[in-house]
Amino acid sequence: MLEKKLLSRVLERAVKKGGDFAEIYVEEREINHVLYEDKRIERINHGMERGAGIRVVKNGDTGYVYTNDLSEEGLLRAADTAYHAAGEIKYMDKEIPLKVKEPLYSFSVKRHPKDVELAEKIGWVKEADEKVREMGESIRQVAVGISDVQKKVQIANSDGELVENEEVRVRAAANVVAYKDGVMQTGYEAIGGTSGWEILNENSLNDLAVKAGELAVKLLEARPAPAGKMPVIMAAEAGGTMVHEACGHGLEADLVQKGLSVYKDKKGEKVASDLVTVIDDATLDKKYGSYVFDDEGIHGQETVLIDKGELKGYMYDRLAALRDGVHSTGNGRRESYQYKPVPRMSNTFIAPGKDDPEEIIRSTPYGLLVKKMGGGQVNTTNGDFVFEVKEGYIIENGEVRELVRGATLSGNGPEALKKIDRVGNDLGFAIGTCGKDGQGVPVSDAQPTIRITGLTVGGIADEGLPGIKRIIRK
Amino acid sequence: MEWCLRNTGEKILNIAYDMKVEAEAFLMHNRELNIEVANGKVETLKQAEEKGLGIRVINNGKLGFVYTSDLSDRALKEAVISAVYISKYMKEDEHNVLTSNNQIYHHLSLYDPDIEKESLKNKIELAKEAEKAALSADPRINIIEKAGYEDNFFTSVIMNTNGLTASASANFCGSYIFLVAEENGDAQNGFSMMLTRRLKGLSPEQIGKEAAFDALRSLNPKSITTGKMTCIMEPSVVTRFLGIIASMVNADAVQKGKSMLEGKIGEKVASDNFTLIDDGLCEKGVGAFPFDGEGTASSRKVLIENGVLKGFLYDNYTASKEGKKSTGNGQRRSFRTLPGVGTTNFMVKPGEKTPDELISDIKRGFYITEVIGMHTANPITGEFSVGAAGIMIENGRLTYPVKGAAIAGNLADFLKDIEGIGNDLRFYGAKAAPTIRIKSLSIAGD
Repeated sequence: MLEKKLLSRVLERAVKKGGDFAEIYVEEREINHVLYEDKRIERINHGMERGAGIRVVKNGDTGYVYTNDLSEEGLLRAADTAYHAAGEIKYMDKEIPLKVKEPLYSFSVKRHPKDVELAEKIGWVKEADEKVREMGESIRQVAVGISDVQKKVQIANSDGELVENEEVRVRAAANVVAYKDGVMQTGYEAIGGTSGWEILNENSLNDLAVKAGELAVKLLEARPAPAGKMPVIMAAEAGGTMVHEACGHGLEADLVQKGLSVYKDKKGEKVASDLVTVIDDATLDKKYGSYVFDDEGIHGQETVLIDKGELKGYMYDRLAALRDGVHSTGNGRRESYQYKPVPRMSNTFIAPGKDDPEEIIRSTPYGLLVKKMGGGQVNTTNGDFVFEVKEGYIIENGEVRELVRGATLSGNGPEALKKIDRVGNDLGFAIGTCGKDGQGVPVSDAQPTIRITGLTVGGIADEGLPGIKRIIRK
Repeated sequence: MEWCLRNTGEKILNIAYDMKVEAEAFLMHNRELNIEVANGKVETLKQAEEKGLGIRVINNGKLGFVYTSDLSDRALKEAVISAVYISKYMKEDEHNVLTSNNQIYHHLSLYDPDIEKESLKNKIELAKEAEKAALSADPRINIIEKAGYEDNFFTSVIMNTNGLTASASANFCGSYIFLVAEENGDAQNGFSMMLTRRLKGLSPEQIGKEAAFDALRSLNPKSITTGKMTCIMEPSVVTRFLGIIASMVNADAVQKGKSMLEGKIGEKVASDNFTLIDDGLCEKGVGAFPFDGEGTASSRKVLIENGVLKGFLYDNYTASKEGKKSTGNGQRRSFRTLPGVGTTNFMVKPGEKTPDELISDIKRGFYITEVIGMHTANPITGEFSVGAAGIMIENGRLTYPVKGAAIAGNLADFLKDIEGIGNDLRFYGAKAAPTIRIKSLSIAGD
């Protein structure tokens, strides 16, 4: 990593011409990825990367330059360019001594990726593949991937703060394709965390892969999902894609400030049912979206976004906080040194309530039970969202009936949150890579079992489903 | 820059010769500029410069890959050693082959010196122009989410121990805008973009106007009733579907049993009027380049011709498996990834009719202008179910906007149900499509 003196010199150069704020983000990243597919090691990827991003902010406008030339000459040239980008020149001299900012907590790493030999990792993925294939003929293809990222960063800014931090993240995923009588279906499972490989022992990778295989096989027999508006129960194990899409993105302050969020000017107002409390928390141990410092050197924290249905606040990075005259909530994140930070979620979830999850199902005369969600997308401006249901079941008379496939849920964030009438006392997490402004960052999201009184299920329009037709006609 | 990259490539090959392995060095240098404006002011100006190296070694048929952004002599040596170490864990595979040195590259005109010469000040003006055009189009356009100008200049060098040296540069520039129109408490998004190889061909004004039109026509939407109906898709929506179709004509997916087009060569998989092309030589598209990420010469391939499946896209590995030649589709997104089968310029051949003619005889239909959640479509099974917005078609005319719909179906049926193709081919980056008409799609609404 770089010497303190050099960091100071770069910052001094960046503000010399009158920038309000300057920052340098230095990153050293090592990635390792093993993918087992088609009964063989498909790919082993090992990469080392170093680079720096320099940012100069002037009157709220940003100049951002990145380079992987980390020589003093290269960095000073980048600092000049960043300033040039931000606006007019007004010379001033300022010394910037740097003081190290201490972390408030840390995550333990018990099995550091460095301590796991490549041969052992290959053993894990191979065994998981074999376990899935033992399930029988209908398993057509298995892909098991594991990856770890070790990241060292230095973040120094013209306020004299210096953060030095190391982060380790691991992730494992299995994707299984099953085939029978001309029908092909897939199952997918993933786990990951800000943690070492202790989150995964060989058995749990096997379990993960087998679970993906079981879903793919089950889906072969599933019939297409019905279409129309109906009550939807989302099981805790489905994870929080809905909360991530339906309200998380709309509560990112940059979008709110630009008028691009359906939640703008709604602070203090009711935006969800009384039963709904939404929290973003970067401090949770070992979760995939956790961090000690955000990518602007602010301590990670817990932020209550919605409290019993009332909108409490938004997620901020430094720049958006400055605009609103508040403090950053430690949500300034970036994919790498190649990107400027923007407000992003960490681990976002609906807090557990009081209801027994089983009882929620029993008290539902008809609807869709979602056990596993896929990806999703939201239009933050009007709050419309859509996401994929990987595993959904028809509920009839309080009982879980057959599995259906090919369903998506579409709805509107605030409307859906207001329609939540039951909240379970459980909580289930899912992990993902969240994309915004072309940047992907690791996140997790969670929710208890919840019931939404009406969402549009987009499946195959099927005339032969009397139960569904009834709902459509209302 | 080319000279500097070649020099590094030679060092890699020399280390590889010493270690007695086959090797390939993929070197890239990339410079990009992105200017984002808001309210007539520059909000973010980003300049970037990066170099990097991806090394593939083949050690007795075993493949090792490593990438690094550190091009110092010590790092180069360590990288080759790591790649050889990794290769020892891989299974020997005769299909791991590097491109031979007898490639003949087409001369393509992919560099516009005007983009490099234009001053930063003028580029900032270009970025502002899109915003200005959108705001002056209509008073209901009052939020510009993002508007900007970007350009990119890159050099790519590929050298391997077969004696191959490929090197070329290209640049392009673009304009984009995302905005919101508001009326009576309703807010709708609008978007448009253009990437072009010629600075003179860039029209931010057109982009601004298109995005404004896109948002305004969606204001005050109604819901749609569930059922099946004829649909028209705008070129931008068709290109979203092309993203999914691309993974079905990928030989890697086919060989792994992950494409529903497996074993269907020579069969009718789409309607008569549908022709699908991948053309790495079409200079207009930003996917054009003399060679792919393995140094194989680019080419033009007709994948589906008048509805009949003609072939798939191959890189060296997948081609070797079938005793074929690579089609020049071993693509890399950056130096950080191994080459894999990918598209160059992926296009639907345009037809004869204007979009208006395609609509004119539809009694009741849905004109789709936006799909969301396309990435949830399944290329393996062909099933899709995505959110959609658009405009209702009644008696051959576009009437009121619709939102909150979901369209669902299977791509196999979708391709066969294409009953009309427009003459309005439009590029969106490296994908291009005209307006198309689908006989019947399942629509879920209220």
